[in-house]
Amino acid sequence: MTDSATRRAAYTVIGLLIVGVMLFPVYWMLNASLQPSGNTLTAGFLPLDPSFAGYRRALSEQGGNLVTSLIIATGTVVLSLAIAAPCAYALSQFRSRWVSIGLLAILISQMIPGIVIANALYTAYERIGLLNSIPGLIVANCSSALPFAILILRSFMLSLPPSLVEAARVDGAGLLRAFVAIVLPISRNSLITAGLFSFLFSWSDFLFALTLTTKGGVRPVTLGIYQYLGTQVQNWNAVMATAVLSAIPAVVLLVAAQKYIAAGAVGGAVK
Amino acid sequence: MAQATLTRSVAVRRQRGRRGESLTKVLFVLPAALAMAALFGYPVVKNVVMSLQDYSLRTFFTGQAPFVGLKNYAAMVSDQLFSQAMVNTALFTIGSIAFQFSIGLALALFFRRNFPLGGLLRSLLLLPWLLPLIVSSATWRSILEQDNGILNRTLTGLHLIDQPVPWLNSPSVALIAVIGVNIWIGIPFNVTLLYSGLSEIPDELYEAGQLDGATGRRAFVHITWPNLRAVAGVLLMLGVVYTIKVLDIILGLTGGGPANATQTLATQSYERSFVDFKFGEGAALSNLLIGLSFLFAIFYLRSTRRAVDE
Amino acid sequence: MRSKRPIAATASALALALALAACGANGNGNSGNGDGGGTSSGGAVTSLTVLDYYNNDPDKALVQKGLDACGTKLGISIQRETVPGDTLIQKVLQQASSKTLPDVLMLDNPDVQQIAATGALAPLNDLGLNADGVIQGMVDATSYQGKLYGLAPVTNTLALFYNKDMLAEAGVQPPKTWDELKAAAKKLTKPGRYGIAFNANATYEGSWQFLPAMWTNGGDETDLKSPQVAEALQLWVDLVQSGSASKSVINWTQGDAKDQFVAGKAAMMVNGPWQIPALQENPKVKWDVVTFPLNKPDQTPVAPLGGEAWTVPLNKDQAKQQKAADFVKCLNSDENELAWAKARFTLPTKTALLDQYAKDVPSMKAFAEQVKTARSRTGKLGDKWPDAAKVIYQAIQLALTGKASAQDAFKQASGG
Repeated sequence: MTDSATRRAAYTVIGLLIVGVMLFPVYWMLNASLQPSGNTLTAGFLPLDPSFAGYRRALSEQGGNLVTSLIIATGTVVLSLAIAAPCAYALSQFRSRWVSIGLLAILISQMIPGIVIANALYTAYERIGLLNSIPGLIVANCSSALPFAILILRSFMLSLPPSLVEAARVDGAGLLRAFVAIVLPISRNSLITAGLFSFLFSWSDFLFALTLTTKGGVRPVTLGIYQYLGTQVQNWNAVMATAVLSAIPAVVLLVAAQKYIAAGAVGGAVK
Repeated sequence: MAQATLTRSVAVRRQRGRRGESLTKVLFVLPAALAMAALFGYPVVKNVVMSLQDYSLRTFFTGQAPFVGLKNYAAMVSDQLFSQAMVNTALFTIGSIAFQFSIGLALALFFRRNFPLGGLLRSLLLLPWLLPLIVSSATWRSILEQDNGILNRTLTGLHLIDQPVPWLNSPSVALIAVIGVNIWIGIPFNVTLLYSGLSEIPDELYEAGQLDGATGRRAFVHITWPNLRAVAGVLLMLGVVYTIKVLDIILGLTGGGPANATQTLATQSYERSFVDFKFGEGAALSNLLIGLSFLFAIFYLRSTRRAVDE
Repeated sequence: MRSKRPIAATASALALALALAACGANGNGNSGNGDGGGTSSGGAVTSLTVLDYYNNDPDKALVQKGLDACGTKLGISIQRETVPGDTLIQKVLQQASSKTLPDVLMLDNPDVQQIAATGALAPLNDLGLNADGVIQGMVDATSYQGKLYGLAPVTNTLALFYNKDMLAEAGVQPPKTWDELKAAAKKLTKPGRYGIAFNANATYEGSWQFLPAMWTNGGDETDLKSPQVAEALQLWVDLVQSGSASKSVINWTQGDAKDQFVAGKAAMMVNGPWQIPALQENPKVKWDVVTFPLNKPDQTPVAPLGGEAWTVPLNKDQAKQQKAADFVKCLNSDENELAWAKARFTLPTKTALLDQYAKDVPSMKAFAEQVKTARSRTGKLGDKWPDAAKVIYQAIQLALTGKASAQDAFKQASGG
């Protein structure tokens, strides 16, 4: 008992060390955000003479942009999961020679450099009036989130035994109903995982925000950060402060979402 | 096996009719297919066309882009940096993937152990992802700075090195440094997916394995790895596809330098298009990137099919 | 059977996307007028759209003041958009392809000829503007095939900043020649501090910083394999090899060089006057500026001209185009040139204003001197300048990393 408690405590210490090393650059960013001159090149280990000028500026100028980013990222999660989940199910459970072609298409889609997509979307958006709009950015961000979500969901759904749906269908449920009532709840883990990544993809997007907005109004926080990198003057403390602030809501979300990822859901359901 | 159950199901439900059934199945795929075509089909077609044109600065203003056949591809191959960019791309991709995956797997296995704060620490690992790349690369640039960077200061302080390492300043070290940063960026992604994959392996398998004496390394070889293979396969495949086109981090750290030591196909493509304004040549390079990824995809799909057939 | 449908759907969606794209490519739209609209053809012009890259305060606000003043004078309102500097050209290209260029467009001066060559800009001579009294270097930069396409109210250039306390402490005079520069840099170097900081990164910025040395020594972008150019590169190599400058200069931007200088980690730096506001925020650092040193005493310093020009994209709406030209003229009035120069630590582009300006703003004296003899990057090569600039920064990288000698670097970089 004591032995296992000691061992678990040791694991926690090791875990802390690992995370500490991995997150050192994040700390360094925090440190830079508190440097008076925003001088990232010569900062000491600790911000001994902290200045909150960067935060004052970021708070007064970036609040709205944070909300915009949050809306876009959430929208991307909802839209990409709604489209991806049924498709992933089809690709994992329907037996057809088109499945591998579909998979190949999805893989190919991941190979296309973002710039190529952004430039093409600009032309299309201009015609249908989606430039400078939140829905436009949500759809664009789906280009990184959607194929990924399909692949992730599919790789999990492959392990779903077909008997699961069969049972429901013998009870008279349609394919769609069986999918909603049985497959989706079981796939909760993978849905959250895919959703998390969709959120992160969208949250950190800069390219689409840059190319698909032509004027102020809709401005995600990644673009807001760029505003501090002037042609000749660079406000690094404001950049870093904005990055720190922008990480906070997302961190809360991440920690909250992790709680729901429980182990062994599929195994339990089959029994 | 799946085929068999499906046939059985169809037989059972014949009264509802085959057509309604297959229509529903189409509906499962239709939204995704539409989205994929709009978001990817069109850009690719446009890019292929562009690579066959003399698409320059002028084109944006006049709308004219004369057809030049394969001239852009010829220019791409004969460029003096082409072979170096190919080699760098390969080193960058292989180096990044190998370490991202193995470190990611080690961390995922570690976090599968049940210990206080484990969940919290694991979710904190995702934090690097939240930083915009422009911020990460600026931060890393300051960490890796040769004279005052905190990494060299720490290493000299610990007497691990005598001379400061020219992380980003020497053509022979810069690529390693850039790969290192890219590994750092990729680890959270690998840990999270591999962790989820590990969570899906039923505990009963391990319990059964224990009875057969499969513990420790043997449990990993006989239980963990076979069950993780689907997720690992997707992950490695995606890793290649994502890594081969990495652009921002290289631009942010070295801009392809010093002395072109970190030029990859992606940075070259960017440079052709947005520095030289030779969009046709830039498109040709990005098509080459897509083509290389495509080869990997074929390779991957063939090997997974073989695995399924087994 | 059941699996054919998704493919058919895919195909039709693809067709739809292509159709949309085709519309996009052929869409005509009114040239010039963005959706800010302020007029219909024939009616009085009530507003102008403006695009520039002064996206960051204090420049953003100071430029706004000038724009508003001219707007009031002409009785129009200004709809201004600012974008981050390195995204301006991309934005211009997008707007060009969708025919939504602004009425007034700011461009970095070496880009003017490239954009003018595409036929997107209106020749300003035809709209009643001229460049009388403007320093020749800037006229060269903003003209293309004999016609004037832009006017720059203010300019900037490079010179040598030095830390007064550090030089006094080391008993060093501000260097006038390259030998003095090397000696001074060496003497000023001590643990934790370099003698000099400059920018030699693999971008056009790195080429720009090299030009004072290259041009002053008689080097020329039309003949990069000349010994004069190699000598200039040797200066950079000597400074780095002797340890007087950090090996990191190959990754530094001009902003990084400034940071080093402000932090007391460099005693001198090659930089421009736009850094002065940042230097003033750190009153502990006492600094002054001298013109860039000469290789041989009989040379005259030749530095590159920086600064942005205001242009008028072609517009079918003649009245609007004329108004935009009038607006650019107003921005280039003596009054506005001086106002912007003083507020933003830049220099007026009219020769007649320079001497008085140097008296009014003493910290700008060295820069004012440099500007009189300064050259523009695109003066000789026009829209071919970027090719030469690329060879220059690649050669610098090769030489500073020891992959080639200063003599061979330019040969290697140009692929010969």
